[in-house]
Formats: sequence, C-alpha cells, structure tokens
Amino acid sequence: MSAAFDRQIRPIYDDIDTGSNKSAILACNKLLKKYPKSDLSLKALALVRSQKVEESLALCDEVLAAKPMDDPTLTAMMHVLRGLGRHADMVSMFEEAYKRQPTNEDLGMQYFFALVRTGNWKGGQLLSTKLNKQFREARYIYWSAMCCVLQANDPATPANMRELLYKLAQRHVSSVWKEDDSSADRFHLYASILQELKLSEEVKKLLESELGQVVCSRNLTCDELRRDIYKANSWFTEEGATAQKRIEERKDRNWLEFLSVLDATFAPLTGSESASDEAKAECSERVARVLELFNKLAEADGQADRSAPLALLELEKRLWAHGLSTEPSRLVDLLQQYLEQFGDKAAAYEDLKPYVALEGDDLARWTSHLESLPHATSSHKELQRTINAQKLLRYNLQDADLTVEKEAPRAVQLIEEYLAALALGKDLPKTELQPADDLVILAAHVFVNMYALSKDEAHLHNAIVILEFASKRSPKSYQIHLLLVRVYRLLGAPQLGLEHYRLLNAKSIQNDTLSHFVLSRASTFSLAASGDLTYASECLESSQIYMSNSQETSDFIVRAFSTERYSQIPDFITFEDRLDNSLQRDLVKIEHVRMRLSHEVINSELADMELIELKFIFDRLHHDNRDSTIVPNYQPRASESFVEQTKLFATEPGFGWLNVFLKIYIRAFQQASDLDDTVEEKLLIGDRPKQSIIASSGTPLLERLAVRIPEETEELTQDEKTFFDYATDLSNWLGPYHDHTRPPPAAVLAEAARQSELKTGRPLRGIDIPAGNGHANGSAKKAEDAPVVTEPPSSLASFFDLMQARFKAVVEAGNQINELLHVATMTQEALLLFSLSTLRFKNATVVKVNRLGALVQSFKPIRAKGIEVLKEIAAELVKIAEQEITAEKRKAFVQNCKVLEATSEIDHDYILDVAKKTTDGRKKVLEGVGKGIKRIYTNHSS
Amino acid sequence: MSTLRPFRATDLFKFNNINLDVWTETYGIAFYLSYLARWPDLCCVQEAPTGRMMGYVIGKAEGSTTDFHGHVTAITVAPEYRRLSLGRKMMDLLERVSDEAYNGFFVDLYVRCTNDIAIGILGLGPGGKDEEDAFDMRKPLSRDPMRRTVRANGRDMIVSAHDVS
Repeated sequence: MSAAFDRQIRPIYDDIDTGSNKSAILACNKLLKKYPKSDLSLKALALVRSQKVEESLALCDEVLAAKPMDDPTLTAMMHVLRGLGRHADMVSMFEEAYKRQPTNEDLGMQYFFALVRTGNWKGGQLLSTKLNKQFREARYIYWSAMCCVLQANDPATPANMRELLYKLAQRHVSSVWKEDDSSADRFHLYASILQELKLSEEVKKLLESELGQVVCSRNLTCDELRRDIYKANSWFTEEGATAQKRIEERKDRNWLEFLSVLDATFAPLTGSESASDEAKAECSERVARVLELFNKLAEADGQADRSAPLALLELEKRLWAHGLSTEPSRLVDLLQQYLEQFGDKAAAYEDLKPYVALEGDDLARWTSHLESLPHATSSHKELQRTINAQKLLRYNLQDADLTVEKEAPRAVQLIEEYLAALALGKDLPKTELQPADDLVILAAHVFVNMYALSKDEAHLHNAIVILEFASKRSPKSYQIHLLLVRVYRLLGAPQLGLEHYRLLNAKSIQNDTLSHFVLSRASTFSLAASGDLTYASECLESSQIYMSNSQETSDFIVRAFSTERYSQIPDFITFEDRLDNSLQRDLVKIEHVRMRLSHEVINSELADMELIELKFIFDRLHHDNRDSTIVPNYQPRASESFVEQTKLFATEPGFGWLNVFLKIYIRAFQQASDLDDTVEEKLLIGDRPKQSIIASSGTPLLERLAVRIPEETEELTQDEKTFFDYATDLSNWLGPYHDHTRPPPAAVLAEAARQSELKTGRPLRGIDIPAGNGHANGSAKKAEDAPVVTEPPSSLASFFDLMQARFKAVVEAGNQINELLHVATMTQEALLLFSLSTLRFKNATVVKVNRLGALVQSFKPIRAKGIEVLKEIAAELVKIAEQEITAEKRKAFVQNCKVLEATSEIDHDYILDVAKKTTDGRKKVLEGVGKGIKRIYTNHSS
Repeated sequence: MSTLRPFRATDLFKFNNINLDVWTETYGIAFYLSYLARWPDLCCVQEAPTGRMMGYVIGKAEGSTTDFHGHVTAITVAPEYRRLSLGRKMMDLLERVSDEAYNGFFVDLYVRCTNDIAIGILGLGPGGKDEEDAFDMRKPLSRDPMRRTVRANGRDMIVSAHDVS
C-alpha cells in the first residue's frame, strides 16, 4: 500500500487504541471509499468495540472468506473474533494462514495459541510435533507433552486413553530430556508424567538426581510435587529423614516438614489393620527419638517459633489415635504449656482447636484451668490471653450450658470486658483494628445463639446494637461488617446489610466468592417492581468478573506456554473453569432474571435471549466457590455454626436449587419463544460452549428438564416447592398448545434474516430461505388440528388460595418479616410466570387461526384469582410496613436492649437510633415490595 | 507454625481473610496470573494447618546487568496472624530464590514510610514520611558481597505513591 494509505490508516489504530470507536468507523468508511479493496478488519474491530455486533459479524465473514495472511489483518481479526466469542473461527483463520506459509514460525505459534484458547489439546499436540519437525526446538516437544497431559486430564477423554496419552508424553519428554539445560518447570512436567505412569524407579532417580535436588531446594512447586510423590509411594521413612535434616540443619520451620517427620514415625503402623508387636516396638522407638527431637527444638526455639510445641501436641494426638499414649495427662499438660507460651498470640485459638475436643476428666481439668486464668485488659498481651481463654471456653460448652438463661450473663461479661479493653486502642487511627474486636464478636455470637435457641428476635436486636457500636470503633473490621450483614438480612432489613457489605469494598474475584452474602435469594428483597434497581444492578456489577475471566484468563494460559511455566497451566485451567462455571454466577443470573421479569415488559425478545443463556447454564458442571469460612465462628462445638444459625429460611440455595429454577424458567421461556434448536444454531453469534459431560449424556434437554430429582427439591423452602409444583403443572398444561402454534423454523429464520438485513444491509450468513414462505408473522395454520382444549389443572388457581392461607398464617404468627416477603414474592412470581407462559396467546390472530379461544377464556379465572390474592397481600404488606415505624415498635426494641444500657457507653439515645434505623429499613422493604406487587397486578391484569 | 507452599491461581478463591484487610489491595485476575505465568517461584503462601491462608508474597525478577534483582511487589499477612514472623519467613524465601535461582544482585521492596516492622525486616531503622509515600529499600545478595547496589542514602530514596507498582 502507498505511503498515503499508511498515513491515513495510522489514526484509525490510534482511535481504536483510545476507545474512540465512532471516529474509527468514520475514518474507515472514508478510507474504504477511496480504496474500496482495502481491508475491512479494522472496521469490523471498531464495530465490535462499539457493540454493533451484527454489522461487525457481516464484515467479519467477508474478511474471513478472503483468507487473510498479512499480519495486521490477522491481528485485527484476532481481536474481532475474540470480541465476538468466535474462537473456532480464529483457529481456522490461523490454520489457513499457516498452511499457506508453513515456514512462518510466528504464524505456527499463533495457530497453536488459538488451539490452546479453545482447549483443543489434541490439535495442539499434533501441531507442536509438526512445529518441532519444522523448526527444531525442544520447547515444541514440551508443548506437545503438556498437551498430551492436558488431554489425558480432560474429563471428556475416555479412561482407556489416559495411560496412552501419558506414555506418549513420556516418550516426547525423554527424547529431549537433558539434565543440564532443564528448567524447574520442565523438570516438574517430566516428574509428574513419570509419577502418573507409576514409574517409581525412574521418578525416584529423577528426584534424587543433582538437578532434582537443586530444583526442589529452591522451587516450592517442585518440592511440593516431590513431597506428594514420596507420600503416594509410601516412602515415608526416607521423606521423614529428609525433613528432619531440613529442620535441624537448615532450621526450616515449614510445618510440612514436621508432618513428614510424624508420618515417618508412625509409618510402621500404616497399611495393616492390626499392627504386629514388632511394628509397634519399632514405632515406639521412633516415637522416643522424635519426642526428644521436638523437645530439643521447642527449647531452642522458645518464643520464636510455634512449630515444635505444636508438633508435640500433634504427636500426642496421633499416639492417642493409635492407642499408644502412655501418659494420659500429657495432652492437657501440653495444652496448658502451649497456652502459657503462646496465649498472647491471636493464632493460639486456631492452633489449639484441633486438640481441645476433650471429654470427661480431661475436659474438666482443661476447663478449670481456663477458668482459673486471670481476665485482664490492661495490655495487648493480656487482652489477647483473655480473648483466647474466652474462645476456648466457649468451644467446649455442652448442651446443658447452652440455655438462654446461662448464655445471657456471658454476653454481658463479654461486653463489659470489650468496653474496658477499648481503652487500649483509643488512640489508634480509624484505619486500625481495635484489639478488643474479638470480644464483641464473641458477644454477638452469644446473642445469635440465644436467638437460635429461642427464635426471639430481641436477641438479634442486641447483636445489632453492639455490633453497630463496634463497627464505629473499628470501621475497617470486615468481620464485624459481615456479622451485621448476616443479622440484618435475618431481621428483614436487607438494605442495611447491603450497606455494610459495600463497606467491604469487594473487588474483582471477590465478587464471586463474597456476593452470596447479599445476593442469595435477593429477589425476595428486590424492589425492582417499583422501579428501585439496587439489587438488579448489584447482580450485574458482581457478574462483571466472569466477563473478564473469559476474556483474560486464556491469555495467561497461552502466556504460560510461551514462558514454559508448565507447572502453572493446569492450575490456570482449573481456575478459569471454576470461575466460568461458578455456581454463584448462575445463582445471581437466576435472581437477575426474576428481578427482570418483575420490572420489564415481558415479550418474546426477552424470552429468546434468556432462553439461550439459561440453556447453556443448564449444561454446565458447576463449582461452588462461595466463601463462607470468612465469617468467624466461635460457637461451641455442640452448636451449629454462626453461618448456619443465620441462614435465611434455614436453607442456602445450592446446585439443586439452581437446577430447579433453571428447569422452571427454561420451560417457561421455551414456551414463550419461537426459537427451537435448529433456529438457535443458525442465529448463535459466538461459539457454543464446550459440551459438558451432562449435555453429552445423550438424554435430550426436554426430558432432562422434566425430571424431578428429590435431592434438588430438598434445597427449596416450602413455598418454593409449592411454586415449583405450580410451574410444572402450568407448563405441562400449556406445552401442547405452544408446540402447535409455534411458527416453523423456516419462517422464524426468514424473519430474523429480514431484520438483520434491514440493520446491516447484508444478508445473514449461512441461511437459505426457501421460496414462498409468506407466513413470517407466525400465524400460519398447521395441517393438523390444534390439540383439544382441556380445562386448566385445578392446582393453578388453588396455588393462589394456598399462598393466601400461608400469608395469613405468617401474619398471625407475628413478626417474621422475611417469611412475609418470601410468601409475597413467590406469589407475585407465580403471576409473572403465568403472563410469560401465556404470552403467545395474547396475539389474537394466533388464537383465531388455531381456534384456541376457549383456552384463552380459561386463563381469565386463574389470573383473576392471582390478582385478587396479590391485592390482599400488597395491602397487608403496606399496612404492616406502617406499623413497623410506630413509637411502640421502637420502644419495644429499646426495651429488648435494656441489658446493654447498663453499660455507660451505650446509652438510651444510641439504642433508639439503631432501633429507628432498623425499623425504617424493615418498613422500606415491606412497603417497597407491597407497592411493587400493586404495580405488577395492575400491569398484568390482562 | 505454618505451611510454606507455592501460590496457586486457585488461591484467589480463598484469600479473602487476607485481602479484606484494609491495607491489602485486591487486583484484577490479570495481575495475579501475570506474575504466576512468569515468576511462579517468587510467589508463595503461608498457610495454617487448617488450610486457611495466613499471608502471601508476590514477587518478580527485573532489571538488567548489575541492576538485576528480585522485587517484592506485594507481601501481606492477615491481621490475626501478625507478629508470628511470617513476613520474615516469606522474605527469606524470596531472598533465597532471587539469589540461587535468579542470581540477582539484591532484593528490593517499597515500604510505606510508616511501616516500621517491614523496615525492620530489611534491617534499617525507623523512618517517618508521608503516610502513602514509600521507601525504596534494598538488601544485597551473595552476588554483591561488597554491597555495591546498596545506596548510602537509602533513607532518601522515596517513591511517591503514584509510582508504586
């Protein structure tokens, strides 16, 4: 191209780089006018970046058809295709380009990377072998071996292929293996292949080679593999000796070394049910030696390291487990010593927890020791000792100690100690944590346990007052915020919980692991129906991370190949998969769909889009990445954990819950949509997700949707179960009429092609419209008659009666705000589902042509029933909302917290303030949901 | 007592108790993976026997010729596990790897001028600058026995908050 052309094209690159896509498109148009033959790829890129997918698609097809080979076009197209999610096209583009220039190494690599992005390990393996033949580089052999390993580990690979693939990988690596120029990651790959093939002689030789020793001494990943291999081969004694050497000579205090020494100590007893006397004697001898070693280390290390004293505890625990303990009192002695030595460290409680589940006399001795410890808050160290003693005492409380009456004074004592200890941190900046925080967290645990025992919300009020107080003293304590999130949601004041959640400032990946704290069953609290989109946008924002995962993570898998960091590749793939198929991702998706239906116009476009998305989700193998361990738990071992005690409706949505709601909504959207599988295939823009094991099982989707699995329904609340029955009856009833009246695929495609051509000026790719299809509006009459109209199942109308009765019962039972909201929103959802399922029959022509007038008539009484019940519910909610903010309510709240007022720092006004906020929060959601329901029954009245 | 093990990509699912602390930043996925894809041996985790993460360090090797060194990009310990020398143990590892595997001349670390503990770990006295500014601190490795890479005026090497990466 000419210099003038170059001059003109450069600003386009700049525009795209800086995100000025509009100006890039204009400049492209200008350029194309002047040089009509020039490349369209840049324009396609600018279009993708400005979300003009359809137009970009058309250009993209044109560029690909021309089989580009030059670097700028290929690079631009790479971005276009990634933007469109068409990785398969990218593979063929590079394949074609490389085929035509087989000596271009860079193209060969790009082709390989495109295969890696699609997880095509078989293709990658063949190509890298070819690359090696052409360019003679050892790393291509390693790529090949890595691809074999990845293919072998792919769940879709048949089991009998695995060994073959590993053998192939071994052949590859051993053909180029050189000890003197091998990196840690090549070593890692080789050793893991040998281990997988159970070639224990070879792998041992490799690990013990000079290279092996050097690499393992300075690369933790390799050392980890070495340790795993030794364990898997039961080389405990050798491993123990190595570990002991590291502990003694290198002063290594890695806990793994201590565990290895312990494993070696008990090695004579492993593997056989009843150990021989000889083995026992051997073991006792080893125990004596290890005891000496640990004692020596403990003495030498003193306060500097906890490893040896803890190893002594672990040794004693294992002796007990093997029935070899000789001194029954030693465990408690060791515990006391440990606490004496390290009780001023915050980690002491967690360190000791595995060893303090004592019984009988031991427990009594340990407890009385803990009770004898002084409670002091005058220095950091003393305070930490007090906290540890409190936690350890609480851990061992038995059922008899756990009554509301016995818990109450504990809460008071903890709060008193907390307030006294605040003096220690009074000069700390706001960004620091108060050293006394754990005391208030413990107090909140006591209150929540009292609630769990009595179901009396008054205890939750106390928890809130004290935690709110603490969060002002320690504004950066995520633990306090999280406890508040749990308690506020339990109390039916979710907005206040959301505010505390936002203070955590969750970013990036944390949206996946933490958003469940506020988004689980969020549609119960969503005010989307009355126009408040807080929760709906929270859903969208928290889901951003999945987009960046699918766009970015594969880059790093590619990068790890090019930097030859083989040890990381399987982890990266696992990471990408766990995030891509995250349970939380799709739970949030379902919540968002439910919110969407409550505030958007329900039409066929919405149904089409959601249908495709939900169908993909249904075939995913999900992973649960939700982090619940982040909520502290100091409840006694005899009680449920704090998280369990604060679960909304006592059940947490999981895999089963997700599947039930997917079944409900996929069936409903399928009925409302004209897209069947053949149409969907043609209209899909990006690649189809890789088929999971579930999808490839052979059972068709429709059948899988209809199956009811008892374990799945167990995760539902009673009201959700009722709703599920209703949804099933509804779709079973209407299914035949939908199937009969749905326009034929050819007509749907013709319509789609027409729309697309109107938009882009180009015909839709790959669609042949047969001539003479004049019924694109879907009102064609089919040859056979419509199915006979049957009466609606009585369960549909009676669902609403049932929910009405449920609602009344909850109102009478008193103040269970969450239950009220749950029953109300499930009833509302039933009406929305009804609208969605009957959408097709709103079209008068469809009804007339198919003679379904009687069917449509039968909708009316059901709808009327639903509206009548919802009217009543909405009015009642608004009424209850008003009662929430009365002076009596607040007074009762303050009265509930009288015990806190006894302490001087938390006065009447302060409690009143918290009471007002809480009751206002409850009012807001009650009223909002009530008003939303009103809007829904008005909008869906016909 | 703690387990020292490599940092893995999947640790991003479980590092909340460390990263919810106000002083620890959570970056996008690309940040963590870009380090793991190049310097996995300079990234490690301290873990409690329960499997709970206690702290981690993320580092890289950079610079050319006599400037080639190990750089600590992030080092952090969860609040409940502080004062257990975990930071020092992770620094020890990073120094050893920078020395033996990368053959670098020194290890450096930007430390908030108010962070006396970290300054102590690298063996310098306490300082006092702006809260967000940092010292660019260096510790020589075996390849630099004469301590040539260490500047006499280390205390004056201030990195402004904008330049820290």
